[in-house]
Amino acid sequence: MKIIVLLKMVPDVVEELEVAADGKTLDSEFLRLIANELDAQALEEALLLKEKYTGTVTVVSLDAPEVDDALFTALAKGADRAIKITGGDGALGTRAGAYLLAQALSTIQGLLPADLILTGAQAIDDLDGLTAPLISHLLRLPQLGIVTKVSVDTAAGVATVLREFPGGVRGEYEIKLPAVLGIQAAEKPPRYVPVAKVRAAMKSQVIHSVPAPMMADGGVALLQVAAMAKPEVTEHAQMLRGSPEEIADQLCEILAARGLV
Amino acid sequence: MPDPAIFNYFGVPGYSLLWLLTLISFLVFGRQVTRHVRVLAHARAENRWDQIGKRIGLVVTNVLGQRRLFDEPLIGAAHFVIFWAFVLYATTFFWSLFRGLVPAMAIPYPDEVAWIATSVQVIGVLAVVALCVAAVRRYIFTPVSLERSWDAAIILLLIALVLLSSLAGAGFRALAATEGESSRSVGGFLGGLFAYLGVSPAHAPTLYLAAWWIHMITVLGFLAYLPYSKHLHLLASPFSVFFASLQPSKMPPASEGASRLEEFTWRELFSGLACAECGRCDRACPSFDCGDPLSPKQLIHHVKELVLTLDSVSSHGKTFLGDVVRPEDIWACTTCASCMDRCPVFNEHIPLVMEMRRKLVSEGQVPPGLPEALNNLARYGNSFGQSERKRAVWTQSLGFKPKDARKETVQWLWYLGEYACYHPGLQSITRSLARTLYAAKVDYGIVYESERNSGNDVRRVGEEGLFELLRQKNTAMLQQAHFDGLFTTDPHVYNTFKNEYPELNHGRHPIRHYTELLATLFDHGELKAARKLPYRVTYHDPCYLGRYNGVYDAPRRVLQAIGVELAEMPRSRRQSFCCGGGGGRIWMEEAGQAHSRPSESRVREAASLDGVRYLVVTCPKDYVMFTDALKTTGLEGKLLVKDIAELVEEAVAA
Repeated sequence: MKIIVLLKMVPDVVEELEVAADGKTLDSEFLRLIANELDAQALEEALLLKEKYTGTVTVVSLDAPEVDDALFTALAKGADRAIKITGGDGALGTRAGAYLLAQALSTIQGLLPADLILTGAQAIDDLDGLTAPLISHLLRLPQLGIVTKVSVDTAAGVATVLREFPGGVRGEYEIKLPAVLGIQAAEKPPRYVPVAKVRAAMKSQVIHSVPAPMMADGGVALLQVAAMAKPEVTEHAQMLRGSPEEIADQLCEILAARGLV
Repeated sequence: MPDPAIFNYFGVPGYSLLWLLTLISFLVFGRQVTRHVRVLAHARAENRWDQIGKRIGLVVTNVLGQRRLFDEPLIGAAHFVIFWAFVLYATTFFWSLFRGLVPAMAIPYPDEVAWIATSVQVIGVLAVVALCVAAVRRYIFTPVSLERSWDAAIILLLIALVLLSSLAGAGFRALAATEGESSRSVGGFLGGLFAYLGVSPAHAPTLYLAAWWIHMITVLGFLAYLPYSKHLHLLASPFSVFFASLQPSKMPPASEGASRLEEFTWRELFSGLACAECGRCDRACPSFDCGDPLSPKQLIHHVKELVLTLDSVSSHGKTFLGDVVRPEDIWACTTCASCMDRCPVFNEHIPLVMEMRRKLVSEGQVPPGLPEALNNLARYGNSFGQSERKRAVWTQSLGFKPKDARKETVQWLWYLGEYACYHPGLQSITRSLARTLYAAKVDYGIVYESERNSGNDVRRVGEEGLFELLRQKNTAMLQQAHFDGLFTTDPHVYNTFKNEYPELNHGRHPIRHYTELLATLFDHGELKAARKLPYRVTYHDPCYLGRYNGVYDAPRRVLQAIGVELAEMPRSRRQSFCCGGGGGRIWMEEAGQAHSRPSESRVREAASLDGVRYLVVTCPKDYVMFTDALKTTGLEGKLLVKDIAELVEEAVAA
């Protein structure tokens, strides 16, 4: 079975994020990037599927700071191939990134057709979870998101996947392969890979750098950030005390005083 | 008296019978011993020939002197007697054997030399008493982890038979002797007893011969049985003591871990052969005590089975590491080292645990909680997963800015350790120490966000690669800093910097624990208690300060200097009981098999002391563990955890 995992680097929120002087981007001084947590889940699911059904796992990333560490870690964990797409704009939005990735997947030799394309169901800069749907749309493949379990019938070319819904509701779906899945959680927590193995991978394995393909429309700025700002610090909450009637009176006074009613 | 070796038994001279029995016994014995030696010769190499003088010293105190056995005084004394009886009996046995095999030699039998005969008899009687003590302890007042096994029973009976046959022989010899020749001594008394019981002196020579043969055959049988039983320890322990690890914190030689026979070092495997199954390790083990799956004794026993069967995967398809030794056993170890510290034969449990943890880590088999901690350590240099830039956030409300040892020269570089830096419950204690030292005009500095985890516990969960990475980064950073000596808040940091950072040390920088620094400051009058604190306290010895590095007195000197009254817990100094947080346990989720926690057992122990108000600690992890334990045991009202730094500030500033 051939599995592709799309792995994205996102800002590490362990470091405090600051808006840069241009008011549109993050200040890069203390900014560190980390592999998107759910993409790491997608990788783990891919590795589990590989162990179960045999096959290959290829990890594809857009170039970004610290992406090499993430890709070597993926190789050390058991991925077979790591591809880094270079030359794209570093600050791509989800939509442009998806276009670039879809383009790259179609043009890089030997990637498609793949049985499964897995990626995280969300990212901290993609709370809408658009990557998987956009990729599926661009590649004309079926897609399911918020997936927590995958099993495959290779002979029939279908996968059975578990999707999570709010309130603990889960649904089981059948999807025809090839397909794109947005992974919410792998069946096991992502495996630990010892530092020695990552170092060994850095010595013995390579990351394939592939230049970003030319986009048909000549550019990738499909969405532009107009402004970026930290949440404004507001005044502290005012606690209303007293009986329910008193509180209601106070509330009405406040609303009236501020011209809200 | 007839000479048992020359006497004719139905036409066969005694010495030929003796030759036959000796050959059989020696062959059976030799075969098994050679086999064991051959297995060890094929194991991984490990040099244990350094510091010969120190090793001989260990053998003198711990084999001849039996020092560690006296941790349990009654059985220690009994074993001491049995051991020395064995030495004497073995000597006279080989003497008799030699004399019997070569009757032409014109030397007397040992029991024909009066003073030797007397000593043998006296110690023989003492040994019979000791044997009774041992039997009563094992079968009636059985301590935890002592088995009532057949093997033990056979050995006790064989020793009894050896002793009693020898004593009976002396009795018959006395009975046959003419009046007045030997009336004193044990033999004389037994001779009289036999006469009283109606044994005719005419039968005494025959009975003497019988006793002599019973004695010789029993010992020859014992010898043949020995290498197949737990009493192999009698042969192996002098070697296991001689080849002991001379440093408690010593890690096994570099490896990717071990799970198969050939992957262990010979000394690791040798532990299995030297084990006497006495159970002292189990009785000292905090994890075992609390019902965690680990039994250090079983661990060693499984190693013995591995040596005996030579099979890392048994005939039932069970793997050594996995089915026989389960990963949860290996992860339950807190590396507190009390098992190794108590082991009378100096077996090495922790290196075995380390080897197997390394193997599990290399296979990615790590318990819940640990991957997050390790990933955080690799990325941020601390297990809390906090930004490196927040390392020195505790200094913000200090009122002064500690020197930056990266930029200016300081006498002391203070390496705090991550708990003292990041843990919200500990930052006020850290500030307390910072203020005390500042007020005492100690020239110290910190390295701010350049400080990373030292790797002590990373190494002890078996993540050798990450330890190496941290050591490289820390060494490089410290080589750029300007300082004479280094002190640390954390005994874990202390241990690894002192013993495992050769490039940092080279004797250039003294490494101190903050209690050692405080003790010196009090000694030199640079710190003075303004008043004696009117508290009655108890003190917990951290594993990595005490057992690992022998620092027991410095904290007590500090407590004395501030005038508190110290009440020791029953388990103190080298018998101190681990808080349960060491060896990376503080990062792992509890497996849920235990019935209690080591920290709870410890705070109960502290609370049981009359009038004790504070449980004084000198390790940040102890503070966290015991503070939690006071809550879970409901002892919050009775006892408080105090870091020694808080008490010092209170006494100095008052």
